[in-house]
Amino acid sequence: MTAPLEARSLSLMREGNAVLDDVSFSVAEGEIFALLGGNGAGKSSTLLTFLGFLRPSAGEVLVEGRSVHANVAAARSSIAYLPEAASLYGHMTAYENLEYFLDLAGRKATRSDLDSAFERVALAEEARSRRLQSYSKGMRQKTAIALALLRETPILLLDEPTSGLDPVAIDEFHDLVKALASSGQTILMVTHDVYGACQVADRVGLLRRGKLVGSFAAEPGRRIDTETVHAAFAEREAA
Amino acid sequence: MSMAIRIAREEWRLWLRSKVVVAAALIIAVLLAATSVLTINRIADEQVQRMEQQVAAEETFFAQPDRHPHRMVHYGHYAFRPPPPLAVFEPGVDAVTGQSIFLEGHRQNSAMFADTKAGADLGGFAALTPASLYQLLLPLLLIVLGHAMFLRERESGTLAVLLAQGSSGTKLALGKATALLSVIAIFMIPLIVVAAYSVTLGESVLAAASLVAGYFLYLCIWGAIVLAASILIRQRAISLGALVFVWLFAALIVPRVAINASSAAIDAPGKIESDLVMLAEQRKLGDGHNAADPAFEQLQAQVLEQYDVETIEELPINWRGVVATYSEAELTNLLNRFAENRMALEAGQSRLFDLFGLASPTIAIASSSRMLAGTDLATHHRFLRESENLRFDFVQALNQAHATDLDYALDMNRNNDAASAEAARINAESWQVLDEFRFQPDSAVDRLGRARLPLGILLLWLAIASSFVVWAARKVRV
Repeated sequence: MTAPLEARSLSLMREGNAVLDDVSFSVAEGEIFALLGGNGAGKSSTLLTFLGFLRPSAGEVLVEGRSVHANVAAARSSIAYLPEAASLYGHMTAYENLEYFLDLAGRKATRSDLDSAFERVALAEEARSRRLQSYSKGMRQKTAIALALLRETPILLLDEPTSGLDPVAIDEFHDLVKALASSGQTILMVTHDVYGACQVADRVGLLRRGKLVGSFAAEPGRRIDTETVHAAFAEREAA
Repeated sequence: MSMAIRIAREEWRLWLRSKVVVAAALIIAVLLAATSVLTINRIADEQVQRMEQQVAAEETFFAQPDRHPHRMVHYGHYAFRPPPPLAVFEPGVDAVTGQSIFLEGHRQNSAMFADTKAGADLGGFAALTPASLYQLLLPLLLIVLGHAMFLRERESGTLAVLLAQGSSGTKLALGKATALLSVIAIFMIPLIVVAAYSVTLGESVLAAASLVAGYFLYLCIWGAIVLAASILIRQRAISLGALVFVWLFAALIVPRVAINASSAAIDAPGKIESDLVMLAEQRKLGDGHNAADPAFEQLQAQVLEQYDVETIEELPINWRGVVATYSEAELTNLLNRFAENRMALEAGQSRLFDLFGLASPTIAIASSSRMLAGTDLATHHRFLRESENLRFDFVQALNQAHATDLDYALDMNRNNDAASAEAARINAESWQVLDEFRFQPDSAVDRLGRARLPLGILLLWLAIASSFVVWAARKVRV
């Protein structure tokens, strides 16, 4: 069966430096795969390569079995992307932001579709008509997640999704991600939050200086052991 | 709704929610409206006044009593250049060249009453015109609106989100370009209104439409430059600084350099300087007021032979009138030679200046604007030539009357006493020799033909700037 996301011997050079070096992994349908790494490990670059924003210097990335760079538009149509900064327009309301981006994605959504997405991410009703410039980081993140939900794509790419969120919001977010995976959505998230990755992911990959240096999978019905991953992460970072 | 229009709509939402942008647009809109109204009023007044003054000058000339014909030669006449209808938008060189000429015998006077000479109390600032606002201020508004329109997406991270929705750099650029185009279209409305008004004043639709099209091209060039900078430059402050520098370069620096370079490359002496040189040659022609001047000895011999007489007193015509006619023709040849030489040099300077449009679209639009409005140097030169023809014709007609209608003996004794002076006059009917003078702008086709070069340069600018945008948009990366 074709994996929705696959990196084959992926290498990436930027300004003469190796950002990714022979990285290979795949993410199965309905799986949550977390790439864990420190700053500059190449986590975000991996996501950007799946989106076709960066071109591999060697190897290839595949979305639903098709090479991304053979048809970038097709790959993007299968992916919802949540950037680290939850980048949306501050001068627009949550409704306006979603309507705009969904229009550009060619998706039509009614006001009730938007409301039901906002309810799933627990964005307060009174906030939805306010401009995002008055939002907290968590509220912006919820709006961006609502957009990802409404895209109804089979794949979700998350870049540091819980960065800046309070503990309650993080828990809510993890629950939501698990629910999405349960419904069949394939999720690749990159993070430096060991605890969060182990809480939510089915598998965790350790990325260090562009190389995939370790992988941990959850036992059926159990979570990945945080201590083990943390120790491996610390050991690799210290090496 | 197409993606481009959708993106443009959101750009408008941002602009309308930005106090700085709304304030800048309002200031320019008010300035544009106020300047248009004031210029229309001023030019309309001047047009009526100059037409009335032309008629009044003719009536005054015709109303002169019986006089010595040479007194009428020096009494003179005026030629007025009324502003063409499109001068309500583009007064052009009118403000510096003068718009009326005193016509008299033996002289080619300069045009008078240039606004810049009459406006010393304005502190050296030329009057704002709608054309100057379109040429200088609207590009600045486009810079304010557009300098960050693309890079803002990159700065805030929304570019990645936009592209992730399936958009592309080219589609985004098309949307942003549509937004800028809509701004340009809105700011074309005052020009369209003024152009339509000029049509009601008698302007041709072709000239008015060409002027509108020229300014649309010009603003599109600026829109493309602004958009290209916004795509290629990654920092807001650098984009704004670079665009303001380009504006300063195109709108202020290159025009000054072009003026100086044109003057340096083609040295055209001014009217006073060339008049001084001309005076030396003029002296060789003899004094037309002195029929005994040795310069006319050959003429005298020819005329005596033609009429088969021995002395000028025996001639059936007035020798002084013959000398005045001959002298005026010779002098006019000399004056015209100098005038044509000066105008050719000025036209050469003007052509060279126009070529600087390749370095600045502001020069290209300014040149085409004046040409299409009929307020350019070529039109002023035609006014000088036509008024000179008018001058020569009525002066020679009066000299002819001097030769045929006034007895030589009476003429020679005119200063003896009052009765002699009275006897040396001719009938006022002779003043009807003055032709009616109504200066008209060139046909729209002629003006459009003259504006081919600057309009072609504008098209070249647009092609280059648009290609640059397309190239930059294709290279857009997160």
